[in-house]
Amino acid sequence: MGVFKAIANGLGTSVRKPLVLAVLYAINVVFAAAAAVPFLIIAQTELGHSLLGSSVRPADLMWLGETALKYGDALPALLAGLLVAAVLYLALQVFLNGGVFGRLLDREGSATLAAFTGDCGRYFGRFTRIFLVSLIFLFLTFGIVLELVSALIGPAMKSAPTEWLPLILSNAHFLIALLLLSIVHMVVDYTRIAVVADNERRVLKALRHALIFLKRRFFRAWALYLLIVGAALAGTIGLSAVLGPLGGPGTATVIAAFAVMQIYILFRLLVRMLFVAAQAEFYRSHPY
Amino acid sequence: MSIKRTLPVCLLAAALLVLPAALQPSQDPGVPAAGAPGLRYEIWVELDDAEKTLLGKEEIVWTNPTAEAVPDMLLHLYWNAFKNEDSAFLREAAAESMFSRGDAPEDGEWGWIDITDIRLADGSDLKPTLHYVTPDGPEHPDDQTVARVLFPAPVRPGESVRIRLEFRSKVPRTVARSGYYRDSFFIAQWFPKPGVYEAGKGWNAHAYHQNSEFFADFADFVVHIDVPSRFVVGSSGKQTGAVVDGAAGRTTYTYRQAMVHDFAWTADPRYIKIERDFIGAREVTPGEYAETAERLGLPLEEVRLPDVRMTLLIAPEHKGQIERHFRALRAALKYYGLWYGPYPYETVTMVDPPFRTGSGGMEYPTLFTAGTRVLASRNVLSPEGVIVHEFGHGYWYGLAANNEFEAAWLDEGFNTYSTGKVLAKAYGPGAMSFVFKGFPLDWFLRLPRNFDFELNRAAAINTVRYDPVTAWSWDFYNSGSYGANVYMRAATLLETLERLLGEPVWSRIMRTYHMRYRFKHPTKSDFIAVVNELSGKDMTWFFDELLEGTEAFDYGIASVSSAKVPLRLRGVYDADGARTEWTDKKIAELEKTGADAPGGPPQAAYRTTVVLRRFGEARLGGDARVEVLVRFKDGTTETRAWDGQARWARLEFVKPAEVASAEIDPSGVWLIDENLANNSRGADGLRRNVVKMISQQLFLLQNLFHFIGSWI
Repeated sequence: MGVFKAIANGLGTSVRKPLVLAVLYAINVVFAAAAAVPFLIIAQTELGHSLLGSSVRPADLMWLGETALKYGDALPALLAGLLVAAVLYLALQVFLNGGVFGRLLDREGSATLAAFTGDCGRYFGRFTRIFLVSLIFLFLTFGIVLELVSALIGPAMKSAPTEWLPLILSNAHFLIALLLLSIVHMVVDYTRIAVVADNERRVLKALRHALIFLKRRFFRAWALYLLIVGAALAGTIGLSAVLGPLGGPGTATVIAAFAVMQIYILFRLLVRMLFVAAQAEFYRSHPY
Repeated sequence: MSIKRTLPVCLLAAALLVLPAALQPSQDPGVPAAGAPGLRYEIWVELDDAEKTLLGKEEIVWTNPTAEAVPDMLLHLYWNAFKNEDSAFLREAAAESMFSRGDAPEDGEWGWIDITDIRLADGSDLKPTLHYVTPDGPEHPDDQTVARVLFPAPVRPGESVRIRLEFRSKVPRTVARSGYYRDSFFIAQWFPKPGVYEAGKGWNAHAYHQNSEFFADFADFVVHIDVPSRFVVGSSGKQTGAVVDGAAGRTTYTYRQAMVHDFAWTADPRYIKIERDFIGAREVTPGEYAETAERLGLPLEEVRLPDVRMTLLIAPEHKGQIERHFRALRAALKYYGLWYGPYPYETVTMVDPPFRTGSGGMEYPTLFTAGTRVLASRNVLSPEGVIVHEFGHGYWYGLAANNEFEAAWLDEGFNTYSTGKVLAKAYGPGAMSFVFKGFPLDWFLRLPRNFDFELNRAAAINTVRYDPVTAWSWDFYNSGSYGANVYMRAATLLETLERLLGEPVWSRIMRTYHMRYRFKHPTKSDFIAVVNELSGKDMTWFFDELLEGTEAFDYGIASVSSAKVPLRLRGVYDADGARTEWTDKKIAELEKTGADAPGGPPQAAYRTTVVLRRFGEARLGGDARVEVLVRFKDGTTETRAWDGQARWARLEFVKPAEVASAEIDPSGVWLIDENLANNSRGADGLRRNVVKMISQQLFLLQNLFHFIGSWI
């Protein structure tokens, strides 16, 4: 199967499973809303009865200065709360990935809540192990490979004659980091796909399958991955274009802007599903 | 390497012979014809670009301006701040865990200055008397940034002393804006420089501190800079000569400038040098001149701007930003000139500092450094902001030349205030400068735009509890407090004062202060005296309370409420010899009867109570008041003034409508108020913009969580 065909089929599978999208969205909103509560309380306490509430701008320095003065001491506690929420969210995603992969790889199967949660439970142990393995890959990427790259470019950065060289080298370093990260993601995704598609209980064996699979068609698999990344970037640019005219303070524009933001979040979650579904299509069409 | 090898002997001899003539001031339009009354320099300096050293000879003619006999002289040797980690500068830098601008040089990159010979013109050797002193107390006993020499006999009042000295310096690898990177050099605070002799106090010469800048007397300078010919040189003053020694491959440039108190220069083979003229008649319209003259109450001729030769030294990679640089400099020359007084010198040199010399964003007389990036957004006012700011220092520290060690705010605060005004006038608000991997985020995101005063206030209200604005530079809690207080809080206070006194009075105050103290060393008292004189009020309280004080200024509305006034109040009343009890039921019946009466019910009345509070410890003084504006639901308004002395005040209004809102300081005079949110209180609940802000916050967090979730 070609890359584009895999994406098309993956998109079809993704849109046929709205429940998966709904679950991911609900979890995302719940966590974000919970984390936003302290900020809501601050804004409501400070501005709820103030005329400033009608004129304050996002990132309004006058108000941000006051907020920093009044709540600056509470910032570490707020950040700690946010960190805890982030860790919980991360753990929950490991659990939910079972449902996402399970339902999206069952192309014709129903995506009921029972089936989704059943997959979550079925794959949780294996996906947790894959998560731990992914940490090793991330360590290898950021702790060793990128450090080596830094060491290689370090002397040139230090003795650069003009601004251009550090700028180019630093961006090249960043690009390498992104590309390596994309490869790690891809390996982890295909490992999970192998676990589900082949009903493989041994994670390392699934990892081996994924690596062999990628070794044989790395660039096509990577192209598929990067094409979806490109689509996500295009969507982000589109969001920026749409949100621009919705910067006014009117009630209608505030509601419209909020709706656009939520559509964008749904789009990003759909892209996440597309990664899984399209790569699964690609995997199944090319037995390792 | 000997200076005699590279400075032709004939040049040296000729220069010495014609020294008196050479030291005559130039004919700058705004500089006093007599030049500096008490101090003249002639310096010969040779740059060894391979060894990163300077070899110099210096002649100082100092005239005792006081009625006291002066037995000694204190000389600044600033580069010894970068000699070792025992200097006051580096010890103070090391003591701070953050905000430190002066990380110690790495091995082999230290800088220093040695006076190798010092004697009077009659040959008296002063070297045996030369010793380091620590005028700022015993905290840094090994600091070597101030040295003292003793004269064989005290210098009598009005008497001049001619000192000839030789020095050798190692250029540091960029600390605090002086130094080198590869073959780029920025040379500042580089020559032995006397302190300022103050009658009754002696020499004012502080050590080089991490948070301090400088103080020196106005002088006439002639400086000969000898560099390899491949270097492009820029300097304070006006270039009056260039002698090429083809055999040695070196060129000696001569620069002169009268009535300046410092001299800096730079050399880099890669500089692109562009010269243009600021033509006053072209930059300012007749209407602008007329408006300025009228506003300031001055004759038209006094506000006309002279022409100025502008020189830009810019790195080749920033060539595309040449027009941005000149536009900003023209705006600065125009508005500083119109508002505070014409630029008095013939030249101004703007330097886009060489890569990694760390010399960006600094001012020297008739020369300043800006700084930009190869990738620069047009919406972010950079380099414009730094150009306007550093040029502007030429007006405050450069002309109304306060002691930056002891009263930094008189320069930094005034200039931060002025910069914001010029940028707002010439450009409007600028986008915030956020950069990722060298790319301005403004290229990808719609970043908010702000005026400088908004940023200044945000910093100002967060720093008041640390230090008074007027603390000496090295006595601040840390560099952050120093910066936020002397730059931003001082600027916010000046902006507040402008709003309080009104623009017409304020513009005359600023003009008068600047011109009255041009080529002098004003103090806080001098400025307060001008404020009081021009405003016709004693505003000393403002400075005592807000500049010297460390207490919060915060007036606000504590509560707002309206209650219907009943026709009668409950209770027992005596009337006409009878005693009647008015109950709720009776009052309701009375109101019903009134409603049925011909002509309709009596007009309802509401008692509105507004409680004001002084949340902060700082308070108003003099005849200053805060205005209180109360709006009612029938569209009517009431205005009151409160002297703000008590901790609270209650205002009551009986009106036919309920209150809609109450606002303290509705005109926004008290910018320094640290909580503007509590300045008003309305009857409505959640505000639309708060909803918008929260929805954006939620969106941000949703993206954050999605990003986190995508990592696995």
